[in-house]
This record gives sequence, C-alpha cells and structure tokens, in this order.
Amino acid sequence: MQALRTAATGMAAQQLNVEVISNNIANMNTVGFKKQRAEFQDLLYQTMVQAGAQSSDQGNIVPTGVQVGAGVKAGSVYRIDTQGTMTQTGNKLDTAIDGRGYFQVLLPTGETAYTRAGNFSVNDQGQLVTQDGYLVQPTMTIPQDATNVAISKSGQVQVTQPGNPTPTIVGQLELATFMNEGGLSAQGSNLFKETAASGAPTTGVPGDQGMGEILQGYTEASNVDAVSEITALIVAQRAYEMNSKVISTADNMLGVANQIKS
Amino acid sequence: MDNALYVGLSRQMVLRRQLDIVANNIANADTAGFKVEELQQKTNPAEPAFTLQGPRPIKFVGEDGVIRDFGQGALRQTGAPLDLAIEGQGFFQVQAPGGMRYTRDGNFRLDDNGVLVTQGGYPVLDDGGGSITLDPTLGQVSISQDGTVTQGTTRIAKLAAVNFQTLSTLEKTGDNLYRNTSNQQPTPVEDSKIRQGMLEGSNVNSILEISKMIEISRAYEQMAKIMDSNSELSKSAVQRMGKAQ
Repeated sequence: MQALRTAATGMAAQQLNVEVISNNIANMNTVGFKKQRAEFQDLLYQTMVQAGAQSSDQGNIVPTGVQVGAGVKAGSVYRIDTQGTMTQTGNKLDTAIDGRGYFQVLLPTGETAYTRAGNFSVNDQGQLVTQDGYLVQPTMTIPQDATNVAISKSGQVQVTQPGNPTPTIVGQLELATFMNEGGLSAQGSNLFKETAASGAPTTGVPGDQGMGEILQGYTEASNVDAVSEITALIVAQRAYEMNSKVISTADNMLGVANQIKS
Repeated sequence: MDNALYVGLSRQMVLRRQLDIVANNIANADTAGFKVEELQQKTNPAEPAFTLQGPRPIKFVGEDGVIRDFGQGALRQTGAPLDLAIEGQGFFQVQAPGGMRYTRDGNFRLDDNGVLVTQGGYPVLDDGGGSITLDPTLGQVSISQDGTVTQGTTRIAKLAAVNFQTLSTLEKTGDNLYRNTSNQQPTPVEDSKIRQGMLEGSNVNSILEISKMIEISRAYEQMAKIMDSNSELSKSAVQRMGKAQ
C-alpha cells in the first residue's frame, strides 16, 4: 500500500523539522547564531491517467489526469540571515557586525573560516583570538601594557599605552561578504566555511559599500524568536501525529483485507 | 453472483487509491505552496449480467481524475527577504532543465552568481523571460506587491506571475513544480499581490483529511463485509444444491 510509505515520508520530514527547530531553540542564546528553517517539497508523482491525453479520435482530451504523489521530502534547510539584536556587554574586545559580513578566522588546519560571533579575547601572546583560540584575520597583537582598546566603526583597532597620550593603531579588522550567505556550510563553534554555493568571499573594510559596521562593546544575539519556534514545534508535532494516523488507518485496511473469508 | 464480488473489489481498489492521495495530502501539509488533491470517482458501466430474471445492469467504480483545489493557502511570515508568496491566483515561472515549470512555492534564494533561484537551484524568471540577478552589496532587496524587484533605489526587474485558463491540465512534477501539458499559453496576472518575507503554506485542511480517512477506512470494511456475505451465499448455495441431489 502506497499510503504507508507516503505517511512514512511525512513522519521523516516532520522529524527533521523538529530537529531543526530544537537546534534553533538550543542556540537561542548563542552569539551570532542564525535561525534555520526546514522547507519541504513534494516527491515524484505517478501518473495513472495523463491529463491532456487524447481520449478519442475526434480530438477530445482527458480534462484531468490521475496523479498519485509519493509523499514529501526535505527540500532544504536554509538559514535566515537577518540581523540579530545587539546586546551590550561592556567588554572592550566584544564586537558586533551591524549589517552584512563575517569576521575571518584562521583555523589550525590553515583554512579560513567565517563567523558573526565577535566575542573575541587575547591569547598568551596578546593576539586577538576567538573563543576557541583561533586567530582573527588579519592578525593583530594587543600590547600587554595597553590601558585601553578602542575599535572604530570602520574596524580600526587603537590602543592607549601608559606614557603616550596619543593612541597607536595596532590593526584593522576586515569583513568578508558572500554572494549567497545561505550557501555557507556551518562548521559548529559559530564558524562557517565557504562552499561552491556561497561563492568566493569579497573582503573589505567595515563600512564600505555592502559591508556592515563594527560596534565595540556589543555582541550580536541570535535571531531566534522563541514564540515562533514554539508555534512551529506544535505544528510539527501535530503533523507528525496525523501521519502516524495514516499509517494506522492503512494498516487497519490491510488487516480487513486479510480477514475476508475465502 | 461473482459480479457482486468484482464490484466490491473495484470499490476497494478506488478506496486504496483514495487513501494514497489523502496520505500524500497529509504528508505535504507543511509543504510551501502545496495544493490539496482529491480523487474523483466515476461509475464504469459494464456489459449487463444475464441472470434468470433477465439482464441486470452492473456498474463498477472507477477513477475519473484527480481534482486539485487551487485555493489560497495561509500566508506565514518567515522574515527572509527572498521568501515570496502570491496572494491571489498565479504561479512563478521557473526555468528547469526539462523546460518551463510553474510554482507557488516562493522560497527563493541567490546562487553563487547572485541569480534568484528556487530551492532546487532553478532560475526564477522575470516578465521578459530572463533570470534575475541581484548583487547583495547594493543594499536591501525590496519586492513590491506587483513583483517589481528594487535594490536600494535601482529597479532590477519585475517578477512574472502567470496564470492559465484551465488549471486542470497542469501536471505536478514533484519539487513543488507544475508542468503545462496542454498548448494553452500562460497569461500574466494583474490582480494578484506578491508578499515579501512570507511563504504560502499548503491549503490542506487537516480535519477534512482525517475525516476523509475515517470514511475511507469504514467504506473499505463495508466492502469486505459485502464480500464476506457474498462468499457465505455461495457456500450455502453449494450446500443446498448438494442436498437437493
């Protein structure tokens, strides 16, 4: 019975939906996290009667065909890259991007990863690093005796040192943008990697055309909206239940067929 | 007498097909732009059966066609700037490798060249039949109700929403796409609105589908009962005839 398999595809799709929603809720407080959505597509159709086929020599055509669908599949899980709200932290090395763009991070493998999470720290050599200790590109070193760090909107990093009233420039933060941000592949730890779908990165200085600006002392919160996630969860759960009802009905009908007296 | 058995069987086969279609509706209850379907039944008159009382008409149950309800699905807000929903009639035009396809699923995105594509990566066409290329660095993309795509203050293109005189000859090809099987030409729609940041949900009414399912399952049991009593009849006929000898 096709209905059994069709309903099974429906249950599998809703399970994926719940997994995506639960990941959104789990990352509600993750800095720079972008919510994801599972979108579905119908599967192939089996055509029993072709619509538009000729039904007689006189040129009459079949007005409606008979097509039976095979269920549903996950078309894509896509990221909704809208701006998250800015949370003030007061930490001098916390930066948030207001607008488009990603910070570049050097992975231990030598590859470059991209992140929206700008909650940076310094390592034992005074270099600007992410929460995982990966170097922020281009690298910069904050002197040990720095009394103050100022990061401008355009990403210029200046430090004030004792005995020197004028701040010294120690580096310039750069941003990377992509043609298709949704095509970046998530690597975990708030990091993304470039793919063929995302296109090659375009790097530039914050505030340039098409690039966001840097806010110092803020972090970008996730763009997950708790209420809509919970509503989506309820919808997914009910849809799952309905598909399981189809399975039990199909099973019931098969049972009836088996009991017909011969 | 076997005719009753075969008529019951024809009904059961249609019921199974009906359940397959209900199952597909329910499985796609959360699919953007999905349109609910229903099986239309017909009677298939066969040659009259000749009995002792003379010819008796027999009518089998058959499948006539799958009717699609192209009614509006509920719009839901997603916040993604390239999610589009059509409020009213019409379809977006999509250039698939196998030819022109039509869809109500406006879950679009940009590919690596900045071309507006569907989930499956097929270009979405404008009113001139060309693909639409956006440059994300030029600023916010806004799409007006009539489908005009503007970036910053520059007009880029106008999305085409088209409709057909007869929708029943459209064929589903999966992936939320439709194919035109007749030679009618799509015409641009004027009175539909395109909503940005929204997706059209399916128009599956879950309560209706569940009650249809109950009906199907009960009708199936009924048919099984008829077939049972039919078999009882034959049995007792055989027994009586044995005795009469």
